[in-house]
Amino acid sequence: MPNNNIAAVLTRTDTWRGRNQRSPRRTLSTGHRSLDLLLQGGWPVSSITELLPQQPGIGELSLLLPTLKYYADNNQLCVWLDPPYQPYAPALVGANIALNKLLLVRSKSHGEWLWAAEQSIRSGALLMAWTRQPSPRYADLRKLQLAAADSGNAAFLFSSPSKVLGSPSPVALRLELESLGVNQLLLTLHKMRGKAAGEKLALSLGEPWAQRTDLAMLPVDRHHGYLSNPILRLNG
Amino acid sequence: METLLPQMPEEQAHKPLAIVRLHKNAQLVLCCNTQASAWGIEPELSLSTALALCPDLLVLPRQLEQEQRHLQQLALVAYSFSPLVILYNDIGLWLEISGCHKLFKGYDTLLQDLEKRLRDQSITAINGIAQNPLAAQLLCQSSFQTQLPSSTAMQRNLLATDLTRLDTSHKQQQSFKQLGLNTLGDLFALPRSALSRRFDGQLMAIIQQLKSEKPFTATPFQPANIFHDVVQNPQGIFNKESLLFPMKGLLQRLCQYLTARQCHCLEIEWRFEPLIGEPQKMQMQLSGSQNNWSSLLTLSRLQLERLELPRSIEQISLYSEQFIEAPMGVFNLDLFGDQQSTQESCELIDRLNARLGIEALSQPILSEEYLPEQASTLGLPGVLSKSNIKDPSKAPQPLWLLTEPAPVQMRNQQLYWRQPLSIISGPERVCGNWWQSEQQRDYYLACDNKGARYWLFRETANQRWFVHGLFS
Repeated sequence: MPNNNIAAVLTRTDTWRGRNQRSPRRTLSTGHRSLDLLLQGGWPVSSITELLPQQPGIGELSLLLPTLKYYADNNQLCVWLDPPYQPYAPALVGANIALNKLLLVRSKSHGEWLWAAEQSIRSGALLMAWTRQPSPRYADLRKLQLAAADSGNAAFLFSSPSKVLGSPSPVALRLELESLGVNQLLLTLHKMRGKAAGEKLALSLGEPWAQRTDLAMLPVDRHHGYLSNPILRLNG
Repeated sequence: METLLPQMPEEQAHKPLAIVRLHKNAQLVLCCNTQASAWGIEPELSLSTALALCPDLLVLPRQLEQEQRHLQQLALVAYSFSPLVILYNDIGLWLEISGCHKLFKGYDTLLQDLEKRLRDQSITAINGIAQNPLAAQLLCQSSFQTQLPSSTAMQRNLLATDLTRLDTSHKQQQSFKQLGLNTLGDLFALPRSALSRRFDGQLMAIIQQLKSEKPFTATPFQPANIFHDVVQNPQGIFNKESLLFPMKGLLQRLCQYLTARQCHCLEIEWRFEPLIGEPQKMQMQLSGSQNNWSSLLTLSRLQLERLELPRSIEQISLYSEQFIEAPMGVFNLDLFGDQQSTQESCELIDRLNARLGIEALSQPILSEEYLPEQASTLGLPGVLSKSNIKDPSKAPQPLWLLTEPAPVQMRNQQLYWRQPLSIISGPERVCGNWWQSEQQRDYYLACDNKGARYWLFRETANQRWFVHGLFS
């Protein structure tokens, strides 16, 4: 007589069944070929990804734009939980992301943050969450990780590397983001299932702007506020 | 009686009970439960006699208004079995089932389903089945028939029906007796000319309707335009957990109503009324349309957690006034399952809304404005709305916008915001609001030593620098 409980356990993706019958890792392409190679296929789905940018503004959002577009095009909601700033609509529209698929959520307490994050993961939405102070505990992360494993969705957690890197984490992937220059990212792999930590990858997100202008050379006339010398517009 | 029973506390339900009505200044027993019948109490007994027979008798007055509301609910149940439901004098319902044969795969299945649904609602009903409404009423038996009788059996039963069951005047009943007419069969056997000479036109009309010679006319039942339902609890409810059970019942009735009207609701409102004091209202906006009581209950529960309720609640009412026609997606005809993810999104928004409040949720909106803070605003989320994708601007634009432009300091002839910044490209001139206060800004791209890029602007009027966004 077949046992229903055993059948239910066997259908789960995270049940280990010997080396040969292991189900392939499900991934979602990052949209950057070299990063896909590093991550053995792309962002892990059914798992949390921890992204640790050294500081905001170095390109951590641009890195996720292809994923965001993928979810929005698939008619799935993208939840931004406690973003540090307001997403700028014209830039998102410029990247062809449907604005009505984005949802900004502001939580008032750690409990609300955790609840909203878990609900979003379980409802088939793409979660991008910025951690609050204090950082989520191991047990909280594990809860989210389990939710992601159940739902089969990608979820991204942004934290500050200085606060997080010392502590262990149950998530499947932990990437530190550093800037090498304008539009140039250096990714450091701190944790990844099935791969040794410590690998680094330099990633270009677009053309680098190398030239810098001295403030005194700016083409603005102080009296009229008028562009006196349009040739000086750099990189135009 | 069953209208009043659910409000009774558990321990009193097993005591003898009678419901009385007022008839010419005398209180008469309308009906009683089996415990009371064991004491010898029967309908039409006066209240004083009943109390003399059974001193412990619990007596409740008849509540016509509640009965009517209950009958309306039953009509809704019946409406899911037949498209033609007629309310009869606030005591009964007629269902036309001749067209519903195929849907239920046979009349017997229909009758069994109907009986089960009524039993689920803890209602004991009796029914009669015949080829016309009046005959069905006459054929009502003391139990619920779940087998469709053959047409000859129906006819035979009808002919054997006692004439006293016919709804006629006392005088007419007397004349039946004088003529020696006992059953309908006796009456039908007489020639029509003889009948019309002896009896008035009203009886003739009844006879014609019974013989299906004349069509029966009545206004069929239509579900009301707005939904309003009440659950009363005289004992009072003191905690939120025990509120959920009556709320579940109300939501189930709402969904029944929605199914009958083939629509979905966009908004519901709860009112929790204490015995004394103002009722507490709880409004719930639904982002998508819904017709699913369990998800509505989950949402209500989440929102209820945030609500301060009066100490004891006596009456819970549920209102719903905004409906839209049910989309075809209910049947999930969608080949690619887009509908499902939209529905999941709607449910997520509703849940977040219920727990965190609407002020916690927003969505970026693009407007045709020049100033960036006006071009990109935050609005209420609406998954179903269409977004307008225009030709994107060629100029590089940041992904993050600061809610308020942050002033930039000047240190040693260098711009400084958190760290030293240097300009890498620009400017792009933006003018806006020239009719109010002229705003002319030159936007620049800047970066810091680490490589993070910023969106700066300088106001041309006062030459001050601000950070307005981060390229990320």
